[in-house]
Amino acid sequence: MAPKSSSSFTFTKPSSQSASGSSNTVSTTASSSISALLSAYTNQTTPRLKFIDAFLVFLVSSGVLQFVYCVLVTNFPFNAFLAGFSSTVGQFVLTASLRQQVNPENKVEFKEVSHERAFADFVLGSIVLHFFVYNFLG
Amino acid sequence: MKAVCFLLLLGAAVQAVKLSVDSVKYSIISAKGEPTTKSLSPTEKSSSEVVTIFQDQTLKLSFQVVDKVTGKGVQPEQAFLRFYDEQSGEEGIQPVRVTSSGKAKFDLSLAKPPASLPPTSSAPLKVTLLLGASSYAPAKLELFNLHIPASHPAPTHPEEAKFHILPELAHTFRPDPKLPARAVSALFAGLVLVVPWTILLGLWFSISPRVPRLFSPNILPFTASLGAFEFLLYRYWVDLKLGDVLTYGAMLGDLVIKNNYVAPTPVDKYTMNLEQERRVWGIERSDRDMNSTFRY
Repeated sequence: MAPKSSSSFTFTKPSSQSASGSSNTVSTTASSSISALLSAYTNQTTPRLKFIDAFLVFLVSSGVLQFVYCVLVTNFPFNAFLAGFSSTVGQFVLTASLRQQVNPENKVEFKEVSHERAFADFVLGSIVLHFFVYNFLG
Repeated sequence: MKAVCFLLLLGAAVQAVKLSVDSVKYSIISAKGEPTTKSLSPTEKSSSEVVTIFQDQTLKLSFQVVDKVTGKGVQPEQAFLRFYDEQSGEEGIQPVRVTSSGKAKFDLSLAKPPASLPPTSSAPLKVTLLLGASSYAPAKLELFNLHIPASHPAPTHPEEAKFHILPELAHTFRPDPKLPARAVSALFAGLVLVVPWTILLGLWFSISPRVPRLFSPNILPFTASLGAFEFLLYRYWVDLKLGDVLTYGAMLGDLVIKNNYVAPTPVDKYTMNLEQERRVWGIERSDRDMNSTFRY
């Protein structure tokens, strides 16, 4: 039985106008997603977490700049680069752990870890990290 | 005074008891059979007598050791012939047997040279007679200068090259690393110091966190102890040794623990403040949401 010619199958030639429209749609979708993410972050994140996130951004920027200098200019002295870069990476790990433990939304996961305990762990880990960094700095 | 006189007499007596040699003769016998004999009068001074022998010749030396004063034959405990090359410094000592009457003989055949003969060159060997007896002063008498054919050079040991002086070690060090231009270093130093801190302080000012209890009597010692630890680590970088740092760190840690410079506030009060904070900032979740998987 021959298929009915119906509007269910519609073939249209692709045109240049529809291609630029789809790319605009993609970029619009991306920008709206990012703005939605930022809006949700701004509205739903506690100030304490934002405080910690600012410190994380600081660590990332410091590490990236040191790495760019090492790649573009020189890695001399290498031990100093390792000390500086590893200090940012290590501190980022400790701070991310602290953020994870003090996030109210993870209260079920870390119900045995009080915020004071989390901060004390963060402080102790930071002191040990700084000791090794100073040792390697030269 | 008497002791001094006695010592002087004793010295004079010792000086008087000397050995001498008598009837010193040497003969050179060749294969042809015509011996040439000559007498010597050896003294302690260097001798001008020159004796030359060739490969097929034999040197025969004979003498008698006598007491210089009495002329009687003496058998010394030690009698040696010393062959000495002044140029190369080579030396050979040949013991000589002396009879009870003081007579001695020595034969030197180049067909079968003694092991005591040192390696020879074109320079002559100074031949010296050395005598030693218990009751006499030692005697050293120059006999003659002996020319004998030069000896072959010593065979080279197969591993002789291993004992040559090796060339001095020359270390090659990596060239010093090139330092970047001061402007580039300064630029990046400024970027690393300024940019992250600018971002951090800008974000913190926009967040404006409230820390009402930062300078309270409970929290300030804790913060000061953290600062003390960081200052100790800075001093470790600049000046102190590891043992000092560990000692001071242990003392500081003990001080912190003993004075309880931890846990800023009681737990219940702190938890209640968290709940208040959540309500203030509009983060109100149902129990269902709170039990969901954790998120950052």
